[in-house]
Amino acid sequence: MPKCKINGQEVEVAAGSTIIQAYKAAGIDICHYCWHPGLSVAGVCRLCMVQIEGMPKLQIACNTEVKEGMVINNTSEVVKDTVKWGLDFHLINHPLDCPICDQAGECGLQDQYMQFGKYDPEMAEAKVKKHKVVDLGPTVVLDAERCILCSRCVRFTEEVSKTNELGIFNRGDRSEIGTVEGKPLDNNYSLNTVDICPVGALTSRDFRFRQRVWYLKEADSVCPGCSTGCSVKVHYNEEGLWRVKPRENKEVNGYWMCDTGRDTYKFVNLKARLLSGRIGKRDQWQEISAEDATRSAGLKLRETVQKHGPDSVALVVTGQYTNEEYKDLLKFFTGELKSKNVYHWLNNPEKMKDFDGLLFRGDRNPNTMGLSAALAAHGVSSKWETLQSQLSGRKLKMVVVAGPENQATFPDMKEKIQMLSQADGLIWLTAGLNADLNQVGSETWQVPLKAYVEKAGSFTNFEGRVQPFKAGTTIVPQALTLSEAVELLAGRDLNWALRPKGLGGPKTNYAVTQRGTL
Amino acid sequence: METKLLTEHYGKDEYIKIDGYKKHGGYAVLAKALKMDPKAIIEEVKASGLRGRGGAGFPTGMKWSFLPANGEPRYLLCNADEGEPGTFKDRLMMERAPHQLIEGMIISAFAIGSKKSYIYIRGEYDHPIRVVREAIAEAYKAGMLGKNILGSGFDHDMDVYAGAGAYICGEETGMISSIEGLKGQPKLKPPFPAVQGYLRKPTIVNNVETLAAVKYIIRDGAAAYRKYGTEKSPGTKLFSVSGNVLKPGNYEIPLGTPLKDVIFNLCGGLKPGRKLKAVIPGGSSAPVLTADEAMKVTMDYEALAQMGSMLGSGAVIVMDDSNDMVDMLDVIMHFYHHESCGQCTPCREGTGWLSKIVHRIRHGEGTVNDINLVKTVSERMMGKTICALSDAAAMPAISFVTKFRGEFEDYVKKGNQVGGALHA
Repeated sequence: MPKCKINGQEVEVAAGSTIIQAYKAAGIDICHYCWHPGLSVAGVCRLCMVQIEGMPKLQIACNTEVKEGMVINNTSEVVKDTVKWGLDFHLINHPLDCPICDQAGECGLQDQYMQFGKYDPEMAEAKVKKHKVVDLGPTVVLDAERCILCSRCVRFTEEVSKTNELGIFNRGDRSEIGTVEGKPLDNNYSLNTVDICPVGALTSRDFRFRQRVWYLKEADSVCPGCSTGCSVKVHYNEEGLWRVKPRENKEVNGYWMCDTGRDTYKFVNLKARLLSGRIGKRDQWQEISAEDATRSAGLKLRETVQKHGPDSVALVVTGQYTNEEYKDLLKFFTGELKSKNVYHWLNNPEKMKDFDGLLFRGDRNPNTMGLSAALAAHGVSSKWETLQSQLSGRKLKMVVVAGPENQATFPDMKEKIQMLSQADGLIWLTAGLNADLNQVGSETWQVPLKAYVEKAGSFTNFEGRVQPFKAGTTIVPQALTLSEAVELLAGRDLNWALRPKGLGGPKTNYAVTQRGTL
Repeated sequence: METKLLTEHYGKDEYIKIDGYKKHGGYAVLAKALKMDPKAIIEEVKASGLRGRGGAGFPTGMKWSFLPANGEPRYLLCNADEGEPGTFKDRLMMERAPHQLIEGMIISAFAIGSKKSYIYIRGEYDHPIRVVREAIAEAYKAGMLGKNILGSGFDHDMDVYAGAGAYICGEETGMISSIEGLKGQPKLKPPFPAVQGYLRKPTIVNNVETLAAVKYIIRDGAAAYRKYGTEKSPGTKLFSVSGNVLKPGNYEIPLGTPLKDVIFNLCGGLKPGRKLKAVIPGGSSAPVLTADEAMKVTMDYEALAQMGSMLGSGAVIVMDDSNDMVDMLDVIMHFYHHESCGQCTPCREGTGWLSKIVHRIRHGEGTVNDINLVKTVSERMMGKTICALSDAAAMPAISFVTKFRGEFEDYVKKGNQVGGALHA
């Protein structure tokens, strides 16, 4: 464990650490663009220059190993001058179009200029013209003029996704990022290049021009897209979620996440959601509050059990709820209703073990492991085939379904709805809207549930790692957590004072109605 | 003054072919070397004080001794990507004496224990590529290359790799990238090539002239080699003299020869009525010398360094009073702007910026502040990048605007009245 002195502060680092890692570990500011902890060292931005006692020339911190007793600083006049000029070199051919740039507000150039630069530019020449609005692939758009050629995206496709779509073409100040004809940037990790791009050169086609980042808030969460359970940040405002970005977690996802996972914000937003409770059947629906719908369903459920015994009801569960919710749900069903008819609805059983080698898994549920454990804990081991025979034998009067939150991962939705509606009554607990549910012929209660960002809890990922997360925001104020729904089904009351308030609905033309009025 | 050690037989056509080469003692040194202890060869080269002839002037024997001692596969690369503007000595050596290079390379490869070597020749050198390829084929046929060379048990394979015309591939790690099939861009150091070079294996990169000189050091011994040149810059060196002299060309002279003698005796002096204005002593990246400095300096590593310039690749560019310094710098800056690989920001952006400023001054659109800015920008580019291209652009820029500031000011004063080169 070599010790060194950084800006006068004694720092001890792991053997083999580079100086920039020591700066990061000690929390001392250092200017840099090309270095990224998840990628190899390129050493090309030349901004992390430090002065090391006993060395005649400045060294780059990213490629210099810390040696015992090194005395390092990046605050001397010569380093400051170098960094200032280094930033100017980055900016002389940069278009400085911040007002129309999507990266503004979270831009490395803006941030580091304010921190380390603040000079009067001396460049008076015509800037180099490069390509703009280049489609690198289906997800990413390039503005080559904004690019500072840090090569992070190129190294990402080389080292992480190992797809090698990107390269730097041409040389000198004519260099541009690009793809080879016929091989666009098209892989399930392409949007990571947008995250690691320190400037507005790479933008996400999904997100660009939709929101100014300074209007967005962010909350930590866990991605529900598959059983890997990457740590993520969700970015939202009162209109809903706008994007999902990876959050560093060395144990699970490193610095990355897949593009599929980034789509998980879509089923959370109002347009895709069931906004209130609904009771009825095909073409005859009554919209009532979530609470009333659940209470009414609970009455019917308990009445059925009293009249026909516990075997007349069944529970179908998907792997998309939290461990805490499973606990409450199964306690109620097996303990209070005394029914062992609990079935695990698997969406794509043949793909459950698939893995792309990086992050994305075939098990498209965040908590299959948690559900399996909960089922085992409650001594439930019903086979799906039994459900089929029970239904066709008309033994089941009521079926309760904790349906999928991310319905897109259930290709068999329509088929299963039809199958389950063979029961006399169907209580469908769901976060998302489903048109097929409105066509069900038997008596149905649709209860709106919260999506993952709206509740606290934990998911158990594929390797059994329990990952707790907090509630981020509330999109549908009425929606219940599965635990709350269970309380109401059991006929108990909720502590309404503890329920979070919604952030408000969509605001058309937000800029006109809100900004400029004092 | 002209000392023909390496170039002794360069006039003879037969010297190009293996039979003629052998007639003049060719491959005899190889036979001698293969009987020596490889360590003794390295020691001999160290003792000779031979310094890299490509430009940096790094002691060759010391470079070789950086190789790890274990038996890992290692490569010898010959740098024949002669790209420094003004230099044309490697071309002559490959065209006139390809076997001299090959023999020097096999000896060097034997010394460092390398079984495979490449000669990286710039793509524009179409004729030398063909000559060297033919010579390698001849050497294979004669048993000088391949398995068990001259019964010594030493195996060595050699190949030519043709570049595609990038100045940056003359930088040793840029060259390694190019041979690896990558974009010719210098690599971060550390690790240095001697530890991790071509294919991440220990690699030695030497210039054509350096490798050819090894033959003569082994033939005559380090002491004999040291008879030429100075104490710290021993040996002879080929100088490519170009510009406004009567007899431009390649001249082999002992290091330490006064530049005055090179220009006014060897090269026949200037055209009648012309006056010496400036000399670039070591290729376009070497800081320019004024006429006064040029008359005083001797051509060795130390004297030139003392003068604030460098020996570089030995390309002497002579300028008389018919040359315009602003015009010259404009050309040089255009070159470095064109050739920057674009990896490191200060070089990528700085070379373009400098080129634009100087171009503007050259066309009468500059201000006095622009002249200062050339110096300021250049100073900020020095020593800030992976390789020395940034410095190579900055050094001439600083020396031109400092030593010939008056000419730049004339352009600024004349403003848009400038039509063509002012000082021509």
